Amino acid sequence: MKVLNKNKLPAVFDKLAQQSELFVPLQKKEQSGFYSWKSFDQASDQLALDLLNVYLPPKQVLLPQTEKMYSFRQEEGGVAISEVYEESQARVIFGIRACDLQAINCLDQAFLTRGFVDEFYKARRDNTTIVASACYKPGANCFCSSMGVNPLEPAGADAIIRDTGTEYFIWEARTPAGEELSRQLAEFLEEKELPLPQSQAFERQVDMEGVAEKLSQVFSSPLWEELSDACQTCGICTYLCPSCYCFDIQVKNQGEAGYRFRCWDSCMYGEYTMMAGGHNPRASATERFRNRFLHKLEFFSERYGMPLCTGCGRCIIACPAGIDISKIITAAKEANWSA
Amino acid sequence: MHNCNCENPLVPQIVEIVKIIDETPDVKTFHVRNENGVPFDVKPGQLAMVSLLPVGEGMFSVSWQEEKEHLQFAIRRVGLMTDELHSVGVGHKIGVRGPYGNGFPVEACQGKDMLFIAGGIGLAPLRSFIKYCLKHRSDYGKIQVLYGARSYADICFKDELFELWPKEKDTEVFTTLDRPEEGWNGHVGLIPSYLEELNPAPEGKVAVICGPPIMIKFALKSLEKMGYNDEQVITTLEMRMKCGIGKCGRCNIGSEYICLDGPVFNLAQLRKLPPEW
Repeated sequence: MKVLNKNKLPAVFDKLAQQSELFVPLQKKEQSGFYSWKSFDQASDQLALDLLNVYLPPKQVLLPQTEKMYSFRQEEGGVAISEVYEESQARVIFGIRACDLQAINCLDQAFLTRGFVDEFYKARRDNTTIVASACYKPGANCFCSSMGVNPLEPAGADAIIRDTGTEYFIWEARTPAGEELSRQLAEFLEEKELPLPQSQAFERQVDMEGVAEKLSQVFSSPLWEELSDACQTCGICTYLCPSCYCFDIQVKNQGEAGYRFRCWDSCMYGEYTMMAGGHNPRASATERFRNRFLHKLEFFSERYGMPLCTGCGRCIIACPAGIDISKIITAAKEANWSA
Repeated sequence: MHNCNCENPLVPQIVEIVKIIDETPDVKTFHVRNENGVPFDVKPGQLAMVSLLPVGEGMFSVSWQEEKEHLQFAIRRVGLMTDELHSVGVGHKIGVRGPYGNGFPVEACQGKDMLFIAGGIGLAPLRSFIKYCLKHRSDYGKIQVLYGARSYADICFKDELFELWPKEKDTEVFTTLDRPEEGWNGHVGLIPSYLEELNPAPEGKVAVICGPPIMIKFALKSLEKMGYNDEQVITTLEMRMKCGIGKCGRCNIGSEYICLDGPVFNLAQLRKLPPEW
């Protein structure tokens, strides 16, 4: 088997970063997330390949928090589109976990299927190569295996690394793009036989069987009031969620010119569905809370055949009110919704 | 300059406003085209995103496509972008992208008697279907239009409602105002009660409704009471939209997106969705 010595990672990253924008998990002071390797500061940053889970998911690699869509210029008697920004520069995400990769599979469904293709997303996605890290030791808030994710075989990876607990990662190319990475990294890869790591059990588990069907029957239940009571609609769950993709489109003017951009939005905010004129179909926190969890656990499954939660556990850690999606899933099956 | 006849569905095409009609104190109809005519073909009931590039974008129903010549948008002044749009004149360049949404089932309705029920600016989307039926007059049976507005001044498309449509073969227009008004000799009262008063028989008929959500909800109840079944009743919904292509998230009702799977639903489809509109 091919193996990669961990000591060579900085050199591997330097090499990959020559041809691509490389994103790796980094601990940057109190913050952790997927950052460009170019931003790595030896003095204050640490590589965080073994951290579960880095706080900021890698979704911004494919769906930046803000992105310019097109610019325009106002001219004598009119306006013209001057430039459309579709970013097709090569990207590599290195060290993504199966949960976050499944979230990208969800984004692929939302942005690339059902009639229209989102060209801004596609330009990035088509030029992104993914090296996933197989997960053998789930974190305390992880429950990906309950959400149909196999942490040992990240679906959609071009290549997979497996931490053997020694100084080596096992390296497996899975697609032609992954083979191409193997060729690029040939000087760093060695042939060596190593035992596969032992996988550990999940502390947190839920049973998703029948949850979407059950939730489809309880839309009008008063239990949503109780479940959402603590929610402050701060939106941190949507911000940190690797699969939350809702966006807003806004404009920035600079004199006679300007550009339209899109940015992450959150279904937890009242303005999200507020129409000009004042009508708001989801005016209350409870309605927004219900819509978010139903989108995650019912609506997305109905539309695309997979839940929009991948069990990464970030929202459980971050929610200031202690709202726990795994408990909502359990409640879907066990709570008394007719009360 | 970028050629904006591009494949990217989120990038608008530039069109010129060639005519503006003052419908009511807060509704204007804008006719737009580019040098070749319509920027794209639109089916009755479909939507398009209209933008004043430096200000904002909003989703509007296309209230008529005049051959290959121009698109018409009847737009009420209610917010930031529409307020600004109402201040521009003929010759102004704006952005449009589309068409979006499913549109009305014009073919499936052939051979039926048509009952259109609209409140306020809700006539804008239905107008495309009404005009389509009149253009293909022999494909449809009797046409009835029931329209309600807050006041006489708030009645949209007065020419068509009072002059043109009533002259068409086998076509009736019923107009009502919410409150009595000096000089108004027509019906006074809300749409659902007028509808029940007129009591058009459901046999062989399709009812198409658009208006404020509260009016739609009550009119649906009236139709149900009058014996219309769920497949006979069609409505067109609106939600806040940003992308128009089923990606940005906000216009969902359950797992359906109004911009993509709607905006037109029959009552049977609507009943399967959460009551969140």
